[in-house]
Amino acid sequence: MPATVKVMRRPEAGETSYLRATLKGMALTFKHLISPSRTATVQYPEEEPTISPRWRGTHVMETHADGRPKCVACGLCPTVCPANCIRLVGGEDDMGNRYPIVYEIDEFRCIFCGMCQEVCPVEAIHVGVHFENAEYTRERFVYDLDRLMEQDHPSTLLWDPSDPRSE
Amino acid sequence: MGDNGHDSDTVTLTIDGLEVTVPKGTTILQAAEALGNRIPHYCYHPGLSAPAQCRLCLVEVEGAPKLAPSCVTDAQDGQVVHTESESAKGMRQGVLEFYLANHPLDCPICDQSGECKLQDYVFEEGRKHGRSREPKRVFGRDDFGGDVLFYGDRCVMCTRCVRFMDEMAQDPRLTVVERGNRSIIDTFFEEGVEGSPYSGNIVDICPVGALVSKDFLHKARAWDLDHTPSICPNCSQGCNIDLHTRDNLVQRLKPRPNLDVNEYWMCDYGRHRYEWMNRGDRIEVPLVRRDDGHEATDWPGVLEPLLESLREGKGPVRAVASPFVSNEALAALASLVEALGGGEIVFRSARADTEIPLPGFPKLTRRHDLVPNRRGAEILGMTRVGSDDGSSGLDELADHRGTLLVLGDELADLGPDFGARASLYLYLGSHPTPAATAADFVLPITTHAEEEGTFTNYEGRVQRFWPALQGPGAARPAWLPLSLLAARMEGTRSPSRVDEAFLRAGELAPEFRGLAYESIGTRGALVNEPAVLPEG
Repeated sequence: MPATVKVMRRPEAGETSYLRATLKGMALTFKHLISPSRTATVQYPEEEPTISPRWRGTHVMETHADGRPKCVACGLCPTVCPANCIRLVGGEDDMGNRYPIVYEIDEFRCIFCGMCQEVCPVEAIHVGVHFENAEYTRERFVYDLDRLMEQDHPSTLLWDPSDPRSE
Repeated sequence: MGDNGHDSDTVTLTIDGLEVTVPKGTTILQAAEALGNRIPHYCYHPGLSAPAQCRLCLVEVEGAPKLAPSCVTDAQDGQVVHTESESAKGMRQGVLEFYLANHPLDCPICDQSGECKLQDYVFEEGRKHGRSREPKRVFGRDDFGGDVLFYGDRCVMCTRCVRFMDEMAQDPRLTVVERGNRSIIDTFFEEGVEGSPYSGNIVDICPVGALVSKDFLHKARAWDLDHTPSICPNCSQGCNIDLHTRDNLVQRLKPRPNLDVNEYWMCDYGRHRYEWMNRGDRIEVPLVRRDDGHEATDWPGVLEPLLESLREGKGPVRAVASPFVSNEALAALASLVEALGGGEIVFRSARADTEIPLPGFPKLTRRHDLVPNRRGAEILGMTRVGSDDGSSGLDELADHRGTLLVLGDELADLGPDFGARASLYLYLGSHPTPAATAADFVLPITTHAEEEGTFTNYEGRVQRFWPALQGPGAARPAWLPLSLLAARMEGTRSPSRVDEAFLRAGELAPEFRGLAYESIGTRGALVNEPAVLPEG
């Protein structure tokens, strides 16, 4: 005889009938039909949906007050990027500072994990609170440095362990 | 333990509980390295003297009153050394904290980041957070001349650069100025290290980002680079180097230690001549001559008609080789010429008027011959023609009426009518050249950076190199089509691997006999010296 035998209880007739559960579900449906106070549907695009401040969307490159990008071409974001979507060629600007000559993010390849923002030592590259990026050509989804600096949507707040709900 | 007797040449000591026997006069640091235990250090470098001033390699020796600098303390019989004890670790942590009191945390913009010893050591055993509240000293950056840029803030005052210029280059151009906290490396004169032929090495030995290369500045991150062991192709010294590559381009050359050839160093002449390996104009597919010029084809499409032409026999054979191709390719060419009935093979090689020795290690010299494999070509019975700039000498061949083979030489000084009268003209090269216009067949071959092979240096040392780049299109190592043609002509089996192709060189020249890839290893082997494999 096997060591453990689990004795199963056969369900009774009242439990096998789904009539009660169906009626319960339909009651809820009709309740919502009559009182539409808690609608989930947002009438986009007439209505703007509210996005979480920790939403990770289209990238933003932060700039200094004089308009230069904050990026110092350290190469950490292309290194950490799991989708391999960042292309960076470092160089020097006219003031002798390390500077990204080429900085491109392929928003199609990007998986919006936000690791580029987390790893950036100078808080230059950010993922943004933004999701509306439609274009007519695929090439337009490769954002170069100028385009990243032009993005005017807010950048994402990183998750703060001391404030887990971003309140 | 350690009871070796006093007249013995070796001593036995215990390092972190592991017993090791080393020759007398070995320092504790070297003995630890023999055990695979790398004690952190800055000022010590195996090629230079040790001033014991960085205070990072301090270890606890049982019975000694205080911690001993392991880079200058000789290993004694029966010594018991602790490198990971509380006091040794605490000392290292303290010393590292002092270094960081003034070292800027600019790793994101520092070229050394990723191969920086301070970064490594602090990451391994430094404090999590700095406690220094005082402002850091600021020196800014300074042009040291030549290829060297100096970031004074990052310097840890190990003085390796000063000692290299004093001891190895024996051309004191650098010194320490000021005292205490303000001490800094500086140049004596305005020109700095400009014109010193070995000054690029101070960038290599700088453990931090204080000395950086202008050529490599901001070019690539250290962790992005692939390192491939290779041989410097810029003179017949055959310095062991690493090709640092990224995106299928050579980004820089670094010396690879080989105590028999170049110790830890290489010359600036060789270091800065790598751009030709990145040339984009390449022969990518085999070409066959038609009435109106060359037609691209594939390997079967070129080898069959080529073999047919060779079999027909088109008159006396003459060949031009290049001292930039490997022993294997030269041997394959010699076999093919032999299979065609024999003929003279010539090569041209550039030659400098002067040699540039490194005074501290005179065996390392930028040699007269500015090509890597002149010795190999000569061993295989080829003769040098032409002038010292690697041109001319082929006037007679230009009008040759028989079979003409050219391997590797770009024939830059020759025009499109070269070989126009030849009954069969076969050109194997990497780069398109006007001199191949008249060729009946053009075969694309890889450069030494893209293939595996060997060079024979000035003293007859056969040294291996490995492929670092991907060859373009259908380009193949030159030995492959050449030995295939030779084998088909003779009805023998063609080598399918490069080590088999090398053995062919041993069949042609007694100097190479007995050598094999397994016995050459990474240090190289002198021709005709070791007899590892039986003959035949």
